[in-house]
Amino acid sequence: MLMRKLLLATTALAFAMAPAFAEPVVIRMVSKDLVSTNPPDVKHIERIEAAMAAKGTEIDIQIVDLPSSGYADALSVMLLSGDIPDLIYFQGGDAKMVEQGILEDLTPWIEKSPNLKAALYPHNAERLANYPYLLYVYPPRMPQPVIRKDWLEKSGLPAPQTVEDYVALFTAIKDGDFDGDGVANTYGVTTADNTNELDSIFNQAFGVTGSWMKNEAGEWVNARITTQERDKIAFYASLREQGLFDPEYITSKFDVKEDKFYTGRAGVIFGSSAEVIDIYGGKMRQVHPGTELVLLAPPGGPAGQGNQAIDVSKEARGFAMSSLSEHKETVMALLDFMASPEGQLLDRLGFEGEEYTKSGDTYTMTDKIATWYARFFASANWTPPTPWMSTAAQASLKQVSDNFKPDNAFVFPADYAADLDATESVYRAWVYKFISGEAGMDQWPAYVAEWEAAGGSRLNEYARTVLK
Amino acid sequence: MVARQEQQLAATASNGNVPVAESANRLLPSTANFGAKVRQWWPYYAMMAPGIIFFVLFHYLPIWEAKIAFEQVRIIPPNIWVGIKHFQVLFTSPVFWQVLVNTLIISGMKMAFVFPVPIIVALMLNEVRSGSLRKFIQSAVYLPHFLSWVVIAGVFIAALSPSNGVVNDITGFFGGQPKSYMTDTGAIRWVLVFSEMWRSAGWDSLLYLAAIIAIDQALYDAAEMDGANRWQKILYVTIPGIVPTIATLFILNAGMFLSADLNQVINFSNDVVRSQIDIVDTYVYRIGLQTGEYSLATAAGLFKAVLGMLLILLAHLFSKRLTGKGVW
Repeated sequence: MLMRKLLLATTALAFAMAPAFAEPVVIRMVSKDLVSTNPPDVKHIERIEAAMAAKGTEIDIQIVDLPSSGYADALSVMLLSGDIPDLIYFQGGDAKMVEQGILEDLTPWIEKSPNLKAALYPHNAERLANYPYLLYVYPPRMPQPVIRKDWLEKSGLPAPQTVEDYVALFTAIKDGDFDGDGVANTYGVTTADNTNELDSIFNQAFGVTGSWMKNEAGEWVNARITTQERDKIAFYASLREQGLFDPEYITSKFDVKEDKFYTGRAGVIFGSSAEVIDIYGGKMRQVHPGTELVLLAPPGGPAGQGNQAIDVSKEARGFAMSSLSEHKETVMALLDFMASPEGQLLDRLGFEGEEYTKSGDTYTMTDKIATWYARFFASANWTPPTPWMSTAAQASLKQVSDNFKPDNAFVFPADYAADLDATESVYRAWVYKFISGEAGMDQWPAYVAEWEAAGGSRLNEYARTVLK
Repeated sequence: MVARQEQQLAATASNGNVPVAESANRLLPSTANFGAKVRQWWPYYAMMAPGIIFFVLFHYLPIWEAKIAFEQVRIIPPNIWVGIKHFQVLFTSPVFWQVLVNTLIISGMKMAFVFPVPIIVALMLNEVRSGSLRKFIQSAVYLPHFLSWVVIAGVFIAALSPSNGVVNDITGFFGGQPKSYMTDTGAIRWVLVFSEMWRSAGWDSLLYLAAIIAIDQALYDAAEMDGANRWQKILYVTIPGIVPTIATLFILNAGMFLSADLNQVINFSNDVVRSQIDIVDTYVYRIGLQTGEYSLATAAGLFKAVLGMLLILLAHLFSKRLTGKGVW
């Protein structure tokens, strides 16, 4: 009898102990800038594993190292070679994988993941409905213009609200010699590589409401060949002609653009996200201590006011789960944990004693928080214990959220790759020609004809089969 | 004949260039089997091995994988055979033909204007008598070779800036109007050629300098005895002495004719001039790696490789006809 009781007791104990000694599930994860040679990355992953283990999910997250430079290309090559990690962060190239059935439809998984489901922004939900393979829980990204507060004050003008106000501000910057070097060498605004950043605030004002618009005949055409686009480009050309827009934007990379801002050669530049605006502010303070940045609102125009419509056809980047993974539940458990309040605290604030200090319930951020970034998400429903972003950065989050308007862009099949490439080249080349004055706006029909011949007609025809 | 070879080997061995002295006493007949040859000359085979492995891994094995130009790639095998579909897409794309023309023009310009420069640099360096001055010039002209195209492009963009670039400052000093060379479709190919020349002339001249050094001094002495001046010695001794090297490098360059330097073009490219300097390699990079159309990109790359092979054969035949020398 005693033996039987002992046997029962040891068996029960063995069952009870089993989960505690279970082998952790190995999840292979590849993400940009997440490398096993970076100690903070490794420490961060280890504490996520520990926190999940405490909640009963034994997980061993193995980082797959890829170079940060050319990440998307390196990732494509790795996947093509058949090496498919469980959790994959994409920065492009994902559609090809979806075509081949490599990525999992996340819809049912998110439905079952309470934290994740609640963490989504409205644009996330729309994008997931259109393309349920990529998850990127972040506020919408949109280039937003910023100016030094002291320069805005020197201009004697209020923050611009209309296209004309912007012209007035740019003119004041150009003529005012605010950097005080005695030389008229400051442009009102500069961008990097192309006019995308200008589009972010001038599209709506000029009536470019989406990637596809109806022409006079009521047919869907690409917005880039519409009269609204022509008027916008003519406006950019006038800015360049008046010396308000940096004519060398096309050979400027992002670092050159920033340098022009810090050294007083450009009054307004665009930051691609709240984090980037904070970085601009930090760097500006290093050069000009005490200087603050002010976020500018998109101008209103005859066609309305607001930021450029945001593409919701799919996430441009984000996490995907391999459909070949043998541990999908664990992968989703990880993503759900990272969207939870506990996961967000770890992911957004960094390490106690490093990025922040804590006394009781009071959190105080250190200077190191400026270099910390979330490796996973910035959940919509999470409020930090203490805000640490600058006023301009916080305003940018609110502005892009308030102005959110979905675009009608959609994903083209692979057969259109050559056409998309060719029309993009034609558009980019002509935009510069118009802006630089090499081509007059009266040559707009020639541009449209070249764009259509380069494959644009095929794109328009396909769009009419998709958009109703 | 064998005695002569033994004599030569013994002479070389006495210079310390042959690893095993006894090798000189045991020459194998040319009919000896491969294993025996490897045993006798193993240090040379060992030195060749890394190069052979490199070419097998990165140049010969990929030839088989080029079959994906005729397939629709599937990460989960098998791939689907689509025949020449990707080539049809390429050849019906106006962009591809523009890209091919750009490649031919840029490569042709580089062949015509960049190829001779290292020869001229080597000839000039050979004429510098002061050792320290020569070393200084050599170091100065080699240095750009060690800079990446990212850095070089940054330097050129800054130097050619119409607002504050040094080139426009100089032309402005002489009354010229500022010009934006980096966005000028007529100038950008010359910018590519000049930057390539600046980067590679010094380094590439090394081969020619080595060839010049190998010219028998007796020929110069004989020319001097005949009353030749320095220019005549260059013309009648030095240049003929390096003609085989020039021919070999010309043929090898012909094989790379359609590789107009991906890194350089990417870093010098912008929206305006892309139509002028978009080459097959940048097209393959954009279409293949950035949009994931590997088969289409492989088709473009394969087409380029076949053209390159034809060019190398033509250059070889041309060289044979002209100089009696080729690559084999």
